[in-house]
Amino acid sequence: MKHRVWMAWIGAGLAAGLAQAADQARFDAAYAEAVAAQEKAASVGGEWRDIGKFLKQAQQLAKEGDFEAAVKLAQRAEHQGHAGYEQMTSQQGKVGPEPFLQ
Amino acid sequence: MRRAAVLLAGCLSAAVAFGTGAEVDPKADLEAFQSFFKNKFPSLPWEEYANGAYALDPAWRANWELIEEFPPYEVAIAKGEEMWDTPFANGKTYADCFGEPGVQHHYPRWDREQGQVVTLALAINQCREAHGEDPLKYKKGAIVDLLAYMAYESRGNVIDVKVPEDDPGALEAYKQGRDFYYTRRGQLNFACAHCHMGMAGRKLRTESMSPALGQTTGWPVYRSKWGAIGTLHRRYSGCNKQVRAKPFKAQGEEYRNLEYFHTFLSNGLPLNGPAARK
Repeated sequence: MKHRVWMAWIGAGLAAGLAQAADQARFDAAYAEAVAAQEKAASVGGEWRDIGKFLKQAQQLAKEGDFEAAVKLAQRAEHQGHAGYEQMTSQQGKVGPEPFLQ
Repeated sequence: MRRAAVLLAGCLSAAVAFGTGAEVDPKADLEAFQSFFKNKFPSLPWEEYANGAYALDPAWRANWELIEEFPPYEVAIAKGEEMWDTPFANGKTYADCFGEPGVQHHYPRWDREQGQVVTLALAINQCREAHGEDPLKYKKGAIVDLLAYMAYESRGNVIDVKVPEDDPGALEAYKQGRDFYYTRRGQLNFACAHCHMGMAGRKLRTESMSPALGQTTGWPVYRSKWGAIGTLHRRYSGCNKQVRAKPFKAQGEEYRNLEYFHTFLSNGLPLNGPAARK
């Protein structure tokens, strides 16, 4: 009987460990995507203000084990990175004073 | 064939006129820009543009005039004068670089040898480094004191920024500054021009928007919000943050080119720095 309890306890521990590793991997992937999007936006001068802050906060949340929130924040940073890049490239060669001189 | 040539010529001239190609026409820009504001505020005297939003908002102006009775930038001027008079370790002074302190109306300028826009702040640090001194930090601190003194000595001088049309580098720098000014950026998707052309003289929440024309006349500025005197590039940084864009480095190429374009558009206005602003 005692033996079975030990086995169950060890099994549960292993499962939790594996789940955490999977969460960490999911976060790492989301974080890497976000950093790539941030760099892409910065390469055209289109980085938005809060991306860096979101990434720092996401890292802190992951450290605390709140992977759900950490991944969400990293995805938000990634979205802003893509949006900033799109914003800049869509205007290239098209900006000028005309719309403002009306 | 002839039709195609006419079409091509039309496209090229449109590209020049609208500045969307490699070509820009600073003189035409200047005329269109200044005419825009003269038409927008037909009764505003020309020199008043140097006073920013205080030229347009009577309540703000009354408050500002009271502040100017005891100017909060006076200490900076005194400290800057001391810096100007104090020799470097090698015995030279700023006068060896600039001649006299009242030279702000010549900046920013295109430097052919360096192939870049040189602002007064950059020139100060280049002077220091040429004489074996460490460069100063750009947004606040000692450099602002010296800028305040030089601005004070430049008061009344008329802005005369030149964009040499025979120098492709100068035209490109001007164009980059121009593009920056009219490009939407940040999460709020605003260009500089949205607030300071279209919204000039109107309220954005509680703030009166200053016209773009004249915005560069009074720097460095004591801002009540900062509780200190700071540089134009610090303000650029703040504007970018306000639209939720990541700001660029003070005295980096982006802001120097922006200052080049921005100051050129105020050619003909008298300098009145340092100034006090909300």
